[in-house]
Amino acid sequence: MCKRLVQMMQGNIWISLNPLGSAQSMTLVLRFQNRPSYGRATFAPGSSSEQPSSNPQFRGLRVILADDDALNRAVTKKLLEKLGCEVTAVSSGFECLSALSSAENSVRLVVLDIQMPEMDGFEVATRIRKVRSRSWPLIIAVTASAEDNVWERCLQMGMNGMIRKPVLLQGMADELQRVLPRKSFEGRHSAS
Amino acid sequence: MERTQLRRQVALTRQSLFDQGFLDEQFIQLEDLQDDANPNFVEEVVTLYYRDSARLITNIEKALEKNSLDFNKLDGFMHQFKGSSSSIGAKKVKAECTLFREYCRAGNGEGCTRTFQQIKKEYATLKRKLEAYFQVVRQAGPAETACWPK
Repeated sequence: MCKRLVQMMQGNIWISLNPLGSAQSMTLVLRFQNRPSYGRATFAPGSSSEQPSSNPQFRGLRVILADDDALNRAVTKKLLEKLGCEVTAVSSGFECLSALSSAENSVRLVVLDIQMPEMDGFEVATRIRKVRSRSWPLIIAVTASAEDNVWERCLQMGMNGMIRKPVLLQGMADELQRVLPRKSFEGRHSAS
Repeated sequence: MERTQLRRQVALTRQSLFDQGFLDEQFIQLEDLQDDANPNFVEEVVTLYYRDSARLITNIEKALEKNSLDFNKLDGFMHQFKGSSSSIGAKKVKAECTLFREYCRAGNGEGCTRTFQQIKKEYATLKRKLEAYFQVVRQAGPAETACWPK
């Protein structure tokens, strides 16, 4: 019964056995929504015990991330890796298109910063959709804009999703979940 | 034990950065991304921020020295700088950036210049405080992390 309740809370519970085979300890894992809290019981960063390290649904998801800002690129890349993705990070629209064409069909998702100099995210998306179907690769836009019509524009350009900056772990996870087809995608990408 | 005291110091220093408004929740996002694979992720990102934004600061400074100010250009630089600052949770810096952009939009050169001085001040203060913080973090040693069964 405990197991049922815990699993309904999207957690897990198990008993560890000692070498003699009898119950030694019980472990309970519960997932809590991450809230900004200043009173965390940690002495140093990195000892968060609130999140699983990778969501099985996204494990192995091949992603190209395009962002001209080195800092944002580093942070978003780590964030996607935390969600289990295999990320190729590039710094321009041109690099994104060339990385995509050399990867052929193995890239499932492109995460695209809209505001890039030279070639912005909209143009990249338009060029991708000229030669690829609307669902492969999927394209998620990242924008700092708070305007309402950005989403419409994204859709017009053939994008599948949108995230507003600042990019948060939960926000990205939610949008990935929304945009990816429900069944496992793992069968379609090449084994590494 | 000295390590416990150091750990306590880390926690207190960290707490004060939030209490005094230097950092916001975005910093916690960075902390959440840190793990065994990247045990110094937060410090690396902050170092990257100070390295990259130094160039932006110089560009803004040069642009402000011109006789006739190009507010579009200034706003463009500041948009980038604000974005980076907000990625590391630099709360006070970010607030001044917002103010700067408002002055840009209003075409107020004097406001821009004044606000920029404030930005540089907050930027330098935060750098000092974060350097001190990471120093204590390093002294305290690696934290025990929760162990997830594979």
